[in-house]
Amino acid sequence: MTETQGEGINIGEIVLHHTSDAYAIDFEPFGTISWHKWPDVHLGSLTLNLTPTKHVVFMILAAVLVLLVMWITKRGLIKQRAHQQAPTGFPGFMEQIVLWVRDDIAIANIGESGKKFAPFIVALFFFVLFMNLLGLLPWGATATGNLAVTGALALMVFVVVEIGGFLKLGPKGYLGTIFPHFEGVGGVGGAVLTVAMAPIEILSKLVKPFALAVRLFGNMTAGHFVVLSLAGIILFFGNWLIGIPTAVVIALIYLLETLVAGLQAYVFALLASTFIGLMQTEHH
Amino acid sequence: MTLGMLAVLAAEGGGGGPFSVNPGLILWTWVVFLIFLFFFRKTFWVTIVSRAEEREKTIAGQLAQAEQMNAEARKLLDEQKKATAEARSAAQTLLAEAKAAADKERALSHEKAKQEQEALMERARRDIAAERDKAVADLRREAVDLALGAAAKVVGQRLDADADRKIVLDYLAKVETSH
Repeated sequence: MTETQGEGINIGEIVLHHTSDAYAIDFEPFGTISWHKWPDVHLGSLTLNLTPTKHVVFMILAAVLVLLVMWITKRGLIKQRAHQQAPTGFPGFMEQIVLWVRDDIAIANIGESGKKFAPFIVALFFFVLFMNLLGLLPWGATATGNLAVTGALALMVFVVVEIGGFLKLGPKGYLGTIFPHFEGVGGVGGAVLTVAMAPIEILSKLVKPFALAVRLFGNMTAGHFVVLSLAGIILFFGNWLIGIPTAVVIALIYLLETLVAGLQAYVFALLASTFIGLMQTEHH
Repeated sequence: MTLGMLAVLAAEGGGGGPFSVNPGLILWTWVVFLIFLFFFRKTFWVTIVSRAEEREKTIAGQLAQAEQMNAEARKLLDEQKKATAEARSAAQTLLAEAKAAADKERALSHEKAKQEQEALMERARRDIAAERDKAVADLRREAVDLALGAAAKVVGQRLDADADRKIVLDYLAKVETSH
């Protein structure tokens, strides 16, 4: 960093300020809405702070927007059905997306019990998609660019995977997913192998939601880091010659980010379905 | 730049940096998602998906029906084709039979006509011959009468008709044999 250029501009601060969670929402240059932090709650050794953050606000906004879109879709579909019409326009488009997620993501990857999990997968897809897209709006924030949010969603998928598996396979079958039985390996050797494999099996169960959480978080954060760093470069140099090409690159990356927003929602739903499906068809 | 970033990151600490995990936020995510899922499932899932499923079922039913009707139509068409082919072959057989009968009939009538024609010709020939013989006899008698008449005129006396006639007839017979 030279002293003559970009004095007072800290790109790191710009990037972190816009990607970090906060107890405020910026509407620069119009101002900032901020609120007070609630006192901490102590649950044994765990200290919790339940103050809604910027990401909570955008998460609720995403949920409300999905419900609004679904409400518009539902109204449109009911109206079209009343006129004996096939679904067309926006309601028809949304219906197709919902059915695509249900059929090609949930049922295709989970199998015959996919229909039971389909509402969960479809809700997950739209929730993640809208959170991703909200981060691309001016003054918006990406709740999915927060490890706590993606981690919570991944943990939920983990619980669904395990409980779904337990209900499907029964206690004995479920235990088989932790202590695998190997065909043709009996006796003491088999028992040793079964016990030795248990940590690996448990690790494999835990790695899946971890991968899910980190993948979504990483993809959403990385894109914003790139866009914000490039924006920081424009401010840092304050020079048309660098500013204009950089702005073009930012616009292109923004387009890419829009694609990534959809793609990551798809990948999250797809992986969640795959993990549920793997557990449903597990037979050790 | 990297150092600056790390410094800010360190300063953010538990206050919500991108890499920090706020347990409160985990709870918020669960609560928001579960409420969202509840409303989504209860209010919209049935309308959007179940009705679409109903429609899918109806379309599948209609498709199956159409397929069945198509199969039936094809079967009918095959039957129709077969019937047409049979009818055509029957018609051809009939036509061939009719043609053969007509040919036979034509040959028969031809033969009959020929026979009739020959009979007619034969009768005509016989009639002509009879008429000719009769004419010759008449002519001969007439000639004898005329000759006798002329001879009587020449001789100037009446000749014995029967005896003269015999002389002339004998003469004529002689002339006919000499010719």
